[in-house]
Amino acid sequence: MPNANTPRPSMNRRLFLRSSGLVAATLATLPAGNLFSEDKITLPFSNGDRPLVKYPQKRALIRLTSRPPQLETPFSVFNEGVVTPNDAFFVRYHLSEIPLSIDPEEFRLEIKGSVESPLTLSLTDLKTKFEPLELMAVCQCSGNGRGLSQPRVAGGQLGNGAMGNAKWKGVRLKDLLDKAGVKSSAKQVAFNGLDNPVSEKIPDYIKALDLDHARDGEVMLAYEMNGEPLPMLNGFPLRLVVPGYFATYWVKHLSEITVIDEPLANFWMNPAYRIPDNDCGFVEPGSVPGKTRPITRLNIRSFITNHLDGDTIKAEEKTSLKGIAFDAGFGIKEVLYSWNNGKNWEPAILGRDLGKYSFREWSTNPFMLRRGKHELKVRAINRVGQTQPLEPLWNPAGYMRNVVETLRVVSI
Amino acid sequence: MKTTFAPFAFLFSALLVSQAAPVSIQLPLETSVYKAAPGADLANAQCLTCHSAEYVSTQPPMPRAFWKGSVEKMIAKYGAPVPAEQIDPLTDYLAKTYGTGLTNAPIISAPAATGIPTNPTAKQLLARSGCFNCHGVEQKIIGPSFKSVAEKYRKNAEGLIKVSHQITHGGSGLWGSIPMPPFQQLTQEEVKILGSWILEQK
Repeated sequence: MPNANTPRPSMNRRLFLRSSGLVAATLATLPAGNLFSEDKITLPFSNGDRPLVKYPQKRALIRLTSRPPQLETPFSVFNEGVVTPNDAFFVRYHLSEIPLSIDPEEFRLEIKGSVESPLTLSLTDLKTKFEPLELMAVCQCSGNGRGLSQPRVAGGQLGNGAMGNAKWKGVRLKDLLDKAGVKSSAKQVAFNGLDNPVSEKIPDYIKALDLDHARDGEVMLAYEMNGEPLPMLNGFPLRLVVPGYFATYWVKHLSEITVIDEPLANFWMNPAYRIPDNDCGFVEPGSVPGKTRPITRLNIRSFITNHLDGDTIKAEEKTSLKGIAFDAGFGIKEVLYSWNNGKNWEPAILGRDLGKYSFREWSTNPFMLRRGKHELKVRAINRVGQTQPLEPLWNPAGYMRNVVETLRVVSI
Repeated sequence: MKTTFAPFAFLFSALLVSQAAPVSIQLPLETSVYKAAPGADLANAQCLTCHSAEYVSTQPPMPRAFWKGSVEKMIAKYGAPVPAEQIDPLTDYLAKTYGTGLTNAPIISAPAATGIPTNPTAKQLLARSGCFNCHGVEQKIIGPSFKSVAEKYRKNAEGLIKVSHQITHGGSGLWGSIPMPPFQQLTQEEVKILGSWILEQK
């Protein structure tokens, strides 16, 4: 099995980075575009070579596709801190006509459909006429880690970097719906953004939530991310934030909210973004599920962030592990780690609780590894007793990977 | 609204909401291209309209059935205008170039679909490269109409060079938000034929 959180710079890049500061100073005067065009990362599965490319408002990220842009966060970013910086946050679009220029003064959000009084709101309206809400929440792509599926499946071949944790500030969807007055016939609320398909035959990217969920007081419209306006590629100036739910619902450049009387039955709700309709959302590898249902909540995951697969650790010197864990919002109760491929498990120390939808940091007491090869693992348990499987589970779309990941390190 | 928080808080925050400036970004040029092999013209003509070549090139090495499934999905779910007779030749190109080959291939590729005339006319090149999927002569489709390109560049001494460069290397930011993919499989001579034809449109 290839290991998961192991995207690592190619050897050339590593050597390049280790070359002297003198060289770096000289190169800094050259145009950056060509200089770094050779940078690449190899994700740990076949055909996993990817370029590292700098996009506007972003640092160099792992480019999966250029039209529409899909950018993955290099895994080392998750060791920088529990909050994922805006310039490192992953990017995923479905449609090729994406907004590249938006005047926030002109921007309007419409709320319409089965409501008593349809609304048209400016960003200033949102910022001044409604109570602001701030919360930390993980945004994770349904297909995060899809490239690690065995057998391999079609779709964006991602490592584990299609996730991020940010502080979102905005307004409660509930407050907007209450102001508009939802009619009693309403069943769902549908969300559309400013991105568009290039042809009429391609279904527009519209997603829906059940009305009760939409009115839970936590689903929100964010105009700030980590204290700044959202980067354009993350949905400027407004995106839906659905805490605890996969990113497919977090519609970017959100401009149109429609309250509807029948469940939305478009391509993006069915057949796209569906999982097997059983307790776990997985099936026997390679098999075809019968009934399916929409993907919904995040499942529990944890990662070691201070080592990459293949790292060398000094033998018989004190070392420790640190990383992150998260779930759908039940809350992380315990994180266990193993240095011997799961034979023994020890509890890790949990870091500060930044909110039930946030990454939770964890670390270990110092310990020593004997000379030789070691398999490091981490496993999280939440407050309702859910944990991660020791063997990978599978579904045909490569969604919801949450196996206990293994890092192979060598102590010398 | 039933909320009960102090109105002063809003007044205060209203003062803090400064006039926000428009935000504009420009994407890096698209650089990925379909690998040159018999059938690449079909991928260039049918697949580049909606997405860049990495959607194919980053997929795992999979058998022909996987690629057939992908082509059929593009047609059924995303309306890709692939003519029925091109489904198998296109699948063969994808399976041979990006997959594990033609294991269990039901038929042999239709040679006509991949035959490339030695002295192509502009019309042949336009059809082969799928130019009309994104550009009308008179109408903007995804990219600008050929007439508007001609108007912009006809009187420019370097017009043909600029248009040719755009065809070979792609471009972005000139005509709208969707970048033009590079068509590097075309020879310089072919690009010149296309560029000259475009500049003649009135």
